[in-house]
Amino acid sequence: MADLGLVVADLVVGLMLGCVFAVIAHGLNVIWGVTKVVNVAHGEFIMLGAYGAYYLNVYLGFNPVLSVPVDAAIGIGVGFLFYFGLLHRELRGKDTITRETEMVTLVATFGLSLILSNAALAIFKGDAVGIRWAPETLAAGPVHVPLGGLYVAISSVAIIAISDLFLSRTYLGNAIRAYSQDIGAAQLMGINPTRIAAIATAIGFALTMAGGALLTVWLPVGITPLIGATYAPISFVIVVLGGPGKMWGSLLGGLTLGILIDVLPAFGISASIAVAVAFLVLIPVLLFAREGILR
Amino acid sequence: MRIPRMRFPTFGPTLYGLALVMVVLGVATPFLPIIVKVQLINFLLFVGLAYALNFMTGLTGYVSFGHAVFMGIGAYALGGGIDRLGFPPLLGVILGAGLGAAFAVGIGLVTLRFRGVYFAITTLVVFLAAKNIVPEISELGGGSGIFMNLGFQPLAEFYTIWTIVVLEIGLTYWVTHGRLGYGLRAIKSDEDAAKTVGVNASRLKLILFGISGMFAGATGAVYAWTLSAVLPDTGFDITYSLRMLAMIIIGGAGTLLGPFLGAVIVYVPYNYFQTVQSLLGLQLAVIGALVLLIALFIPTGIVGTVRRYVPTLRRYVE
Amino acid sequence: MVQPVEPEPTPTTAGMSGRTKLIAVAVVAVLIVGITSGIVYVLSQTPSSLAGIVKVGFSISLTGQYNVEGKNSLTGIETAANWINDHGGVEVNGRAYGLDLDYYDDASDPTNVVNLYPRIITQDNAQFLLAPYSSALTGAAAPLADQYDRILLSHGGSSNTLWTKGYRNLVEVLSPATTYLDGPLDWIKANHPTDKIAYLYADDAFSIVAGRAAVAHGQQLGLAMASNQTYPNKGTTDFHTQLNAAIAAGADDLIGGGHFQDGQAIVSQLSSVNWKPKVVSLLVAVTEPSFQSGLGAAANNVTGPSQWESAVNYTPALAATQGFTWFGPSSADFTTLYKSIHSGLAPTYHSGEAAASIFILVKAIETANSLNTTAVRQALAQMKVMTFFGGFQVDSTGLQIAHTMVLVQWQDGQLKVVQPANVAQSSVRYPYLP
Repeated sequence: MADLGLVVADLVVGLMLGCVFAVIAHGLNVIWGVTKVVNVAHGEFIMLGAYGAYYLNVYLGFNPVLSVPVDAAIGIGVGFLFYFGLLHRELRGKDTITRETEMVTLVATFGLSLILSNAALAIFKGDAVGIRWAPETLAAGPVHVPLGGLYVAISSVAIIAISDLFLSRTYLGNAIRAYSQDIGAAQLMGINPTRIAAIATAIGFALTMAGGALLTVWLPVGITPLIGATYAPISFVIVVLGGPGKMWGSLLGGLTLGILIDVLPAFGISASIAVAVAFLVLIPVLLFAREGILR
Repeated sequence: MRIPRMRFPTFGPTLYGLALVMVVLGVATPFLPIIVKVQLINFLLFVGLAYALNFMTGLTGYVSFGHAVFMGIGAYALGGGIDRLGFPPLLGVILGAGLGAAFAVGIGLVTLRFRGVYFAITTLVVFLAAKNIVPEISELGGGSGIFMNLGFQPLAEFYTIWTIVVLEIGLTYWVTHGRLGYGLRAIKSDEDAAKTVGVNASRLKLILFGISGMFAGATGAVYAWTLSAVLPDTGFDITYSLRMLAMIIIGGAGTLLGPFLGAVIVYVPYNYFQTVQSLLGLQLAVIGALVLLIALFIPTGIVGTVRRYVPTLRRYVE
Repeated sequence: MVQPVEPEPTPTTAGMSGRTKLIAVAVVAVLIVGITSGIVYVLSQTPSSLAGIVKVGFSISLTGQYNVEGKNSLTGIETAANWINDHGGVEVNGRAYGLDLDYYDDASDPTNVVNLYPRIITQDNAQFLLAPYSSALTGAAAPLADQYDRILLSHGGSSNTLWTKGYRNLVEVLSPATTYLDGPLDWIKANHPTDKIAYLYADDAFSIVAGRAAVAHGQQLGLAMASNQTYPNKGTTDFHTQLNAAIAAGADDLIGGGHFQDGQAIVSQLSSVNWKPKVVSLLVAVTEPSFQSGLGAAANNVTGPSQWESAVNYTPALAATQGFTWFGPSSADFTTLYKSIHSGLAPTYHSGEAAASIFILVKAIETANSLNTTAVRQALAQMKVMTFFGGFQVDSTGLQIAHTMVLVQWQDGQLKVVQPANVAQSSVRYPYLP
């Protein structure tokens, strides 16, 4: 029988892990929701965000939370580059995204992920690096809350809340939502589709790279060129669980994964099986709620 | 008296060409130096994987990111068969094929309900789950894998993978040129429309996924045979998923010649770069660049593009 | 990919003359055969070999996941070969042979091992072989060594199962994986026998063998087990749940680990769960200098097993008292030579174990006084030799039985050898004190 104190302690860690999962998946969620394009190279941009935070720490002494705005700014540039270099050809002048476009972008970004991860391996080498930043830990009985993880969780929820407010309360946000629902109708309302798609992509990349910066708190010594391969699948699962384009879906999906991975072991299930279960939970969700858990 | 004119059976030049290559390889290999033999075995492993994925992704347009899972199942079938049941390797390969097909049908029954990106992600998820579950199974050596002392049997390995590839090529031809082919093209261009004209899309997809899993399983078993060992890391290696996909995209998905061509293009740098110091480790980056360019500019791959823009060759290349 | 629907040419030859068809067939066939023979040609250019040398062939991981271990191993091998050639080469029948290394990068991929060893043996004519790094790659090379009847010395593959498969020519130079964690457990048993142990190790081939053997050894010693957990070997960076479980089970000591990243992550997260185990002993990670530079004070008093450290002082005198024959340079001489060849870099234990395989090979050849595989294999089976790396003696399967692991501990920023006592620099500090 599981020890209650242990379950609570694991739940707290799982919630914090879920928050960081949510924020790394959030950029993918935005791009997927708006442009209907799935960026298979998503993990590689998380990796670049993490290296961004690492080098900001090495050269300027920034802690990971401070690196977030800088990484986000770089992400905006990378996003525009990605949109005009890759997506624009495919999305230009189309009212609906055909399955052909979907597949072409899927495969093209797959190629991009191979390029980025292997080029990164050649440049950064295989050695793991990390940022030494370990704020205090709050303790209450068996429950331990490392403050670093807590700051990340708060930032993550704040980022998701802001993106939700932005989409629902601002003119630009409404335009993006209109575009994501019906490109043709949005155009009739005087919205420039290229501009909107490019901006949404840039925002998505800013979020992705910012997420990479926050992730480094959880990788005290684990930043490598290959982390993309670990976190991209996690991000895909989270977005599908929550439903692409639903801002709070990222958090819901992230928490689902975080809790499964961290709480199942308290019931005597091995960590590997817990990870497998966390991935496989996607399948029943897809079977019974095609649009994700959130309605 | 009329003498009937000698005629070729109507198989088409590509099939004849591939058949010729396979016959030449089959006859010549015993006489080649061992270094070339092991290279050919590895090359045919790539070809075998490419055709295996081609049945699914090539012919139906359903992209699978997790196809290495069937390779891993095949590899573990061989390892388990030899280590636990005392099988000879060939029986292990057959078991690998059978389990590959069985798992594919089982997984397909659920995942083939999802389309496009959702299918691709589901396959990836299944792969990752399997990779995490296998080290927990102590009957399969747990995380420490299974080592088998099979000796070094290059010719047996060669003719096994050779047979697999020949079967794949034949079956690819049969599927694309038979009645199945029309249904498949219908699914690939518009699945819903295909259903309305009476194509049983679900069954067709399931059959192809099963065939695909069967060949990937068989190839995975031969792969484990060449390594005399199967470990979670080598059995369930995501880079093989990526290579499979790259091969058929580069060569031309759904075509008869494409997977072979793709295998040549992916395999040569994979090996050649190893001996050139400055290119070490960049193989996959180069393959990635090729995939990116092909997806954006000639999404039908080399074979598809040749067929489209050089009408005179359309007869000969398929 | 999805192609636009195009009119499918019907598979018929109507309207196509036999000649055109024949030409087409020929063109396609020539193309394919041309490409294939191109590959074959590229892959089969031959270097030549000389008489008067002993050629030692191997593949090593210069790229891929084992690139760091592989590079360190290679520099160790080069240093050893250098020392042998400077000290009269290999003497057989009164004739001195130079040692020649023949190696390729296997990119940490066992497929390449299968491709490279036949080339190393049949084309480059290597007379003796060293194994690649890691058990998986060694397992791929072993059948080839038996097929071509070459000695294969394993310096980086320590999974015990390799020696249960009946490979004739596979001989282990380093301590097998099952003995890695014996050191800290033996020390706990001797000094703090009431400590409860938490075992936490990765589930990859090497760590799981080492971890399970530790659990068994602990049980044999009668040490109480608080918890026994594994974790996925790749991408696990969060150990809070496992550490929480260990605390809840009342563990005193933490034993296990896997590789560099996870080992470092475990230690860094001890503080976030407010746990100060009395003994922390982890595989692999601890011996790396970056373990200490990455963790700072948290690394203090962490222990870990090591195959070898340059500070370990095996000496001819020690060899004599234990009934071993001494061979090769002292640890200090090896380290000095290594540094002079490799721009001041210090040797790691991967360099040590790989270098030792060269010394063991040369000693075996000289003992057999022959370059014949069977004679050398017999010498390996019988000899009892000590090098700077420690003892060498194998059982009838080729499994190493004389070499012992050492235990190291970070003490105030310095990595000190603390066990076994006869080669230690310092005594074990207890408890763990971050």
